[in-house]
Amino acid sequence: MIGRRKKRADTAELERPRTRVEAPTPEVTRDVARFEHGSRVPGWDDAVDLEKDPAVIPDPATTPVPAELRAEIEAQMAKYPDFRSAAIPALAAVQRHHGWCSPEAVWQAACVMRLTPGYLISVATFYDMLETRPVGRNRVYVCTNISCSLCGADELLARMKEETAGDPSFNVRGFECLGACDIAPMASVNDVYVGPMSLDDVPTLVTQIREGLPPLPNKQLIRRKSVDPNAASPGGGASA
Amino acid sequence: MPRPNPDTIAFTIDGLEVNAPAGMMLADAAKLGDVEIPVFCYEPKLGAPVGACRMCLVEIEGIPKLQTACSTPVRDGMAVTTQTARVKEAQEAVLEFLLINHPLDCPVCDKGGECPLQDITFGWGPGRSRFIEPKRHFVKPLALSPLIAIDRERCILCYRCVRFSQEISEDYQLVLQERGAESFVSTFDGHPYVAPFSGNIVELCPVGALTSQPYRFRARPWDIEGSGSVCLGCPTQCNVEYTVRDERVLRVLSRQHDGVDDGWLCDRGRFGYQSFHADQRVTHPLMRVDGELVPVGWERALDEAAAALMAAGAQTGAIAGGTTTNEEGWLLQELMRGGLSSPNLDSRQGGMLPRALHAALHAPSLQATVPDLEFAHAVLVIDCEPVDDAPILDLRIRKGVRRNGVQLAIASSRPSSLDANAQVVARYAPGAGEAFCVALNAALAESDAGPGSAGRHGIVEELADAAGADAAEIRTLAELLRGDGDVRDVVILYAERLTQGMRGEHAARALLNVAGRVIPADYDGAGLLEVPAGTNGRGLREVGVLPNAGPGLEPSTLIGLDTAAIGASAAAGAIRALYLLHVDPLRDLPARRTWRGALRRADAVIAHADFLSEGLWEHATIVFPAESHAEKEGTITHPDGRVQRLRPAIARPDAVRAEWNVLADLSARLDHDPQVLSGPMASARLFEAVPFYAGLTLDELGGRGVRWPARPGAASWPAADMGPFGLEVPPHAPTPNGSLRLGTFRSIWAAHEVEIAPALKFLRHAQRAELHPSDAERLGIAHGGRVTVGAHGSQISATAVLRSSVPEGSVFVEQGIAEDSAAELDDGGLVEVTPQ
Amino acid sequence: MTQTILFSGIDEPGLNTIDVYRRRGGYESLRRVLTQMTPEQVTDELIASGLRGRGGAGFPSGKKISFIPKVNVDKYLVCNADESEPGTFKDRELMQKSPHMLIEGIVIGAFAAGANRSFIYIRGEYVEQADIIDAAILEAQDAGFLGEDILGSGFDLSLVLHRGAGAYICGEETGLLDSLEGKRGNPRLKPPFPANQGLYQGPTVINNVETLATMPHIIRMGGAEYAKIGTESSTGTKLVSVSGNVRRPGNYEIELGVSSREIIYGLAGGPPPGRDVKFWFPGGSSSPVLTKDDLDLAYDFNTLAQAKSMLGSGAIIVVDDSNAVVDVALKLAKFYKHESCGKCTPCREGTRWTVSMLERVDSGLATPMDLDIMASVQEQIMGNCLCVLGDAMAMPVASMITKFRDEFEGHIEAARARNPWGPGAVAGGDADPVLIQGAVGA
Repeated sequence: MIGRRKKRADTAELERPRTRVEAPTPEVTRDVARFEHGSRVPGWDDAVDLEKDPAVIPDPATTPVPAELRAEIEAQMAKYPDFRSAAIPALAAVQRHHGWCSPEAVWQAACVMRLTPGYLISVATFYDMLETRPVGRNRVYVCTNISCSLCGADELLARMKEETAGDPSFNVRGFECLGACDIAPMASVNDVYVGPMSLDDVPTLVTQIREGLPPLPNKQLIRRKSVDPNAASPGGGASA
Repeated sequence: MPRPNPDTIAFTIDGLEVNAPAGMMLADAAKLGDVEIPVFCYEPKLGAPVGACRMCLVEIEGIPKLQTACSTPVRDGMAVTTQTARVKEAQEAVLEFLLINHPLDCPVCDKGGECPLQDITFGWGPGRSRFIEPKRHFVKPLALSPLIAIDRERCILCYRCVRFSQEISEDYQLVLQERGAESFVSTFDGHPYVAPFSGNIVELCPVGALTSQPYRFRARPWDIEGSGSVCLGCPTQCNVEYTVRDERVLRVLSRQHDGVDDGWLCDRGRFGYQSFHADQRVTHPLMRVDGELVPVGWERALDEAAAALMAAGAQTGAIAGGTTTNEEGWLLQELMRGGLSSPNLDSRQGGMLPRALHAALHAPSLQATVPDLEFAHAVLVIDCEPVDDAPILDLRIRKGVRRNGVQLAIASSRPSSLDANAQVVARYAPGAGEAFCVALNAALAESDAGPGSAGRHGIVEELADAAGADAAEIRTLAELLRGDGDVRDVVILYAERLTQGMRGEHAARALLNVAGRVIPADYDGAGLLEVPAGTNGRGLREVGVLPNAGPGLEPSTLIGLDTAAIGASAAAGAIRALYLLHVDPLRDLPARRTWRGALRRADAVIAHADFLSEGLWEHATIVFPAESHAEKEGTITHPDGRVQRLRPAIARPDAVRAEWNVLADLSARLDHDPQVLSGPMASARLFEAVPFYAGLTLDELGGRGVRWPARPGAASWPAADMGPFGLEVPPHAPTPNGSLRLGTFRSIWAAHEVEIAPALKFLRHAQRAELHPSDAERLGIAHGGRVTVGAHGSQISATAVLRSSVPEGSVFVEQGIAEDSAAELDDGGLVEVTPQ
Repeated sequence: MTQTILFSGIDEPGLNTIDVYRRRGGYESLRRVLTQMTPEQVTDELIASGLRGRGGAGFPSGKKISFIPKVNVDKYLVCNADESEPGTFKDRELMQKSPHMLIEGIVIGAFAAGANRSFIYIRGEYVEQADIIDAAILEAQDAGFLGEDILGSGFDLSLVLHRGAGAYICGEETGLLDSLEGKRGNPRLKPPFPANQGLYQGPTVINNVETLATMPHIIRMGGAEYAKIGTESSTGTKLVSVSGNVRRPGNYEIELGVSSREIIYGLAGGPPPGRDVKFWFPGGSSSPVLTKDDLDLAYDFNTLAQAKSMLGSGAIIVVDDSNAVVDVALKLAKFYKHESCGKCTPCREGTRWTVSMLERVDSGLATPMDLDIMASVQEQIMGNCLCVLGDAMAMPVASMITKFRDEFEGHIEAARARNPWGPGAVAGGDADPVLIQGAVGA
């Protein structure tokens, strides 16, 4: 997915004489469809490079794979009756190693799994958490689904993006329901769920991430008690 | 494995009671009642239905929701309706949905006029769309490969092409990426989709999203005619339909024949047609005058040829290449045996097999068919790489393994593309096919007789060692073929190269012994299936193009020279004239050095050729223009005994004449008139001459061919000793000792049409030497580096390719390519590989 | 009215460790099953309990296990922990706080089904929970509750935690199976049903986390005793995730059949002060919406189905009167469009088309006729898709158009009045600004 050709932007510049109404001027481009959540880069306009060789199963003789990566993928393959089940774990492993599912990373996973890289890229592009283009290493997924957005998630995402704008170490994305509507609006910060977040939490959070500190310790889901009034009642035996 | 043999059931469709085989999908069964259910994603050839497009929704009595007809098997008493308002609404809804993303650029679309989406919209569509949002627009068309263009605007995401790549050819290069409405068909990281069968996706596409680069904008459906024939590209003889416009072939489509090709074509067969109309094609008789080949008239060419042959008389040698038809082969042997009294003719590459072994190897009782590969319990592929030697069988074997659980075993020296599908893979040293068969025979004997009598047929370990193979692998293979003791359908697929060469007959006996141990006599669904070296290899042997047998494998009064001996004798001056029917020895035969001498020395080299390859360009004295595949008339015989009819699709260009006519004319000039005045007459004479073809007619062959081993005439096949035979101790494969064992192979792309057809030119490649990384390291060779492969004074240049699957101690180089062909070297010997 | 079974002592510190879990009587049901019961008896108890699947479809769980053919092939149990239905977060709390309850349930379920391999497919986002389960599996293996010859019964079971990577459709059981097999998570054509041909083509029982976690309790209490809780057709307790515009969002364990008002107002505290419930999703975002007039409906499978909605995964999302229905509809449609796998036509194209139409409604470039088209498109999606994802968008969107048609029309009018050129209007743009916007956003 790297090295994609530039999209045409010419048609947008045509003069449109009858429009003289004052209007906001959003950036109008003829770019391909991009997604609300910025999670994927469609390749609709990509032709193949006819100079390349077909992407068959990579030969171990000519594909160097870091030993620890190979061992991790092979261990995953051994867990299942059919080794192909390890496709997602293998892609997750190369993503951890390379930062994203780069062509080289996918090629390595394919080499270990004895699959074509096509098989794996087809899987990788299906899932939101597998990145098929370079991203920052700090993942901040802000849930923007119904419950969170009823509680102000869209503003939170905008604020978060604003705060981290220009910092390549961040990968701030709006995300579909993360399954934590009880702490809406919330975010998953390098896999740690925090919420409910206010806009004021954003600068603190960004600083904590930059400094490698635990994100918003007091707002971590993992420490939250159940809200069910009966859950921890003596009748339930919690005090036993 | 039992083939499906379903009961007939009755169901009603739109009130009409229809009989259909139980379990047939409703979408197909409906056709039996003349009801068409529209489909996009459904294609039975692709395996289990996916029910993705939702076009085929029908109402079934007793089921509240609409059901997809493509995935619902018919049952007895089922009542189906396809004309209710609900069904109509669903069909209109699906079409409305499909068309919101479709550009409707039919006027400039190649598919227009033969487009399922167009037809179905017309037949079942709502007529108007309520979609007023802008459609998506993307750059188009884009290259998917040099052969295929992709237009993603038109794609309706029916999944057919990716299913082909993933479940039929199993190359897994073409995939869907992304998700939902953003899904698109693509390859990994911009790599082109180049694979032996990629062209099939063009034919599968139900819209104009995948188009053939060579056919784009060449014709409209109303400009063209279809003409059925058979592809002559390789021994699988796929049934094709030539798309013809103004006497030019513009496209090749599959003419599905489940007994032959299952409805698929390889890219060489699909795109090679461009060579029919290439500028370099020979379209006039040529004669060498003052060292140059110049066009001459037919009379002069024929006279000169007759005179040259007359002068050489019995010192003439003739070789027929693979694309020669049965009729041409029969006329050639008439010309040689009748006109020149010369028995020196052959259609094999070397090593004469005794008549009785031909008779045994191809006995109708031991003959497997192509569909047997799909339904057998076990298939053993030995010394054969299906994708190169008989491409379409590769797909058939994969289908059997995937859908029917066929147990596959591969025995070869070079890694096979089917290894990943096989339960057992056994490797042996290049050229040690015989030793491997002897070892396998011993392993089977051992398991038959128990440990007590071990060694009567040889000690497996010693024989395995001689074959450069692993005894344990051979025993596993024997167990697989044996199964758990019940009678099993075992098919052994082998390439003719196993029975060629100096020790070919010993290998044949060993193979027959193995077959005798695992294949019950006269057992349907099991047997041997040979992949001949040439397209019509089997037919040519049956019509008498052998040095030791006449038509119908009749004993020949005189035993002639085989191909290798003809070459050697010509080089020594004992053969003075060479008659080369569709063969260039320098290109197609081993022992290139000998042949170079032979061609140089012969007084006359008379050839039938459509292109002047190296040997003919330099040495032919007379060249008769050969017909292209689409111009040929006559019959050919499939490896499983199916006699198939070739029908001319286009007129012969310029001065090209029917080759049966050339051979008959020449024969008449040699005072042996075969009395053949037309193509059908040639076929009729042939059917009379070959006892087991007796009674065949062109009408009976029709468009599907007839398997003669299944006809009564099969009784005329010569009786033969089927073994078991006493076997010699095979020679030990050479020990590498620092050098490497040389293995050769001929790739699917090593063919002259690949060099000539503009669309396929990109697949030509220079010589590559495949070797194991540890050998490469020892020899100081890097991946991609240039190396010299040589032995005994001859050598070739190649690019080193490191493959971890290549056995250590061997190096593989390619035959049949224009430059640096492996034919310069001797197969099975040792070679030195050195970096340049 | 509230009954605590699953949530009993859920916040006890260290409950996620095997020691605390066992101290509280954990794994005793398993011991009883393996030492005193046959698989048939376990299945019978489950059938007697009336337990219905807690994942969304509400299929009787005991019956599901009884469908597994009694043949000698590899059978599988898969725990569906891909909790991704918007508004649902109950399984997360269970897995995080009491992973051994789930593991015990899995072993019991697998024993009943005759499965020797089991998998938990957990959504990739639940990293913290997955780590907890991984640790719990190791503990359970060490303690002999997983692995070979469990508790000396001769019953073997392996359990592998499989982490997904972010796709809503993998919560659909056949999509989950494809994903677990290492493919794209596309739903499969049914039949064959997973009970006959599921994971790796083997008979497979797939159950939700909550369903499996309930099984040890059913064994402990006895099926008949469990069936006394709740209503006749909806037995037992249910974890309900309440979120959106409520004061105390969270998971509550309720007895099925209590009034919805009691859950929304009584437990979750109702909407913030000064606001009123406008509409609510009773069973996750896929359920047709109900209004404040429906608050007194009993919260159980049948009552909600009669009200033309569903209990689904038991996730109540409350939307108060400060929100516009169009915004919620658009949010919802965008979600399903993003999550549609793309395999079947009506879902792939229908969700996309619905989003484009709702965007026009939102920007004032629609007419009331577009609402009719939109309603008709939802009709065209419903029942025509390969799986239920298409319906999951079509049902709530259709219900919103039906119940709030006036507001949709008013929204169009107001948006048009605000900005005659639409929000994408731009001086000197292409033919029509909204067309450009449509092309970009589509």
